[in-house]
Amino acid sequence: MLNLFLAFLKVGAASYGGGWTIVGIIRTEILSLGWLTPDDFARLVAVAQVTPGPVALNAATMVGFRLFGLAGAAIATLAVVAVPVTLALTVGALMSRMAKRGRQVTEALKTGTIGLIAMTVWAFAPAATSSWLNAVTAIVAFSVSAFTRINPLWVILGSGIIGAARRAIFG
Amino acid sequence: MSDKTADAPGFLTIFGFFFGISAVTIGGGYVMVPVIQRAVEKRGWIPENEFYDLFATAQSIPGPLALNTAVFVGRRIAGTRGFIAAFLGILLPPFASIIAVASALEVVGAWPPVRGFLDGAFAVVPGLTAALAFNMIRKRTWTPLRAVITVAGAVLIVVAAKWAVPVFFAVVLVAWLFERTKPC
Repeated sequence: MLNLFLAFLKVGAASYGGGWTIVGIIRTEILSLGWLTPDDFARLVAVAQVTPGPVALNAATMVGFRLFGLAGAAIATLAVVAVPVTLALTVGALMSRMAKRGRQVTEALKTGTIGLIAMTVWAFAPAATSSWLNAVTAIVAFSVSAFTRINPLWVILGSGIIGAARRAIFG
Repeated sequence: MSDKTADAPGFLTIFGFFFGISAVTIGGGYVMVPVIQRAVEKRGWIPENEFYDLFATAQSIPGPLALNTAVFVGRRIAGTRGFIAAFLGILLPPFASIIAVASALEVVGAWPPVRGFLDGAFAVVPGLTAALAFNMIRKRTWTPLRAVITVAGAVLIVVAAKWAVPVFFAVVLVAWLFERTKPC
């Protein structure tokens, strides 16, 4: 349980730039500790993205729940938000002034955040090559969210329904 | 804002407000923040320009953007009481729905159509995350130096694996030092 708390505390401290950036880090932490298999983690991400709430937070809650039930869910959730909320209470105003004065801090954070999202892309890209259907799905998902204003949720649901139909028909 | 807490909305009002937004909005910070903004303005709790200041602050600290924005808005309208109300209001709906979904999956998770749905929903993740990276790269103002540091930083973070968090902060620090010495 302590390991769970520490792992998510660390993840929370680096969670800049929206939830998806840190899903790669969560994955590395969870897999290296041997808590879940890559397949388990993939299903968990699938659930986290179709449930209301920030993806990273949902993933944390779910990993905690899977490992230690309700108490684990509460601990993982609190751990992920502990650093941000403490910072918000204490130095939030200061950091905002820093961020506003020079654009240097903001730019430096952008540099780091692109590194984090690169890690997430690196972790999940292999999944797109596992089958033709997955490759096509990934390309469609990429095109829709990079070049249109369509809510990606529709792609997620559409792909999910295709997946369900395929399993129902072919088993 | 002479008298901040006297005529400020109560705990339950603020809690209910954020609970409602959090419960019906799927898609994280960038979807949720505009919803919060419109609703807050409609109630006349915070003027628009002040909201943008709070939003800028929320972006400068780590953590889910929607949560950060909510707790700042909560604190601005009703002090500590508002902070706690916003925190719980934003967190409880996803927490409860995850518990519900995870419990349901323990029962029906092995059922083929459910597995198929989850596999399908996961298949979009490589595309979505790649698009996110693509947009971040496209929207940035690039200089040669920035590009070099960003690429080097990304490689180091990917290679670092378990040490990605400390390496991330090291990369940010180095990038910041370069940005200071060579204003681009």
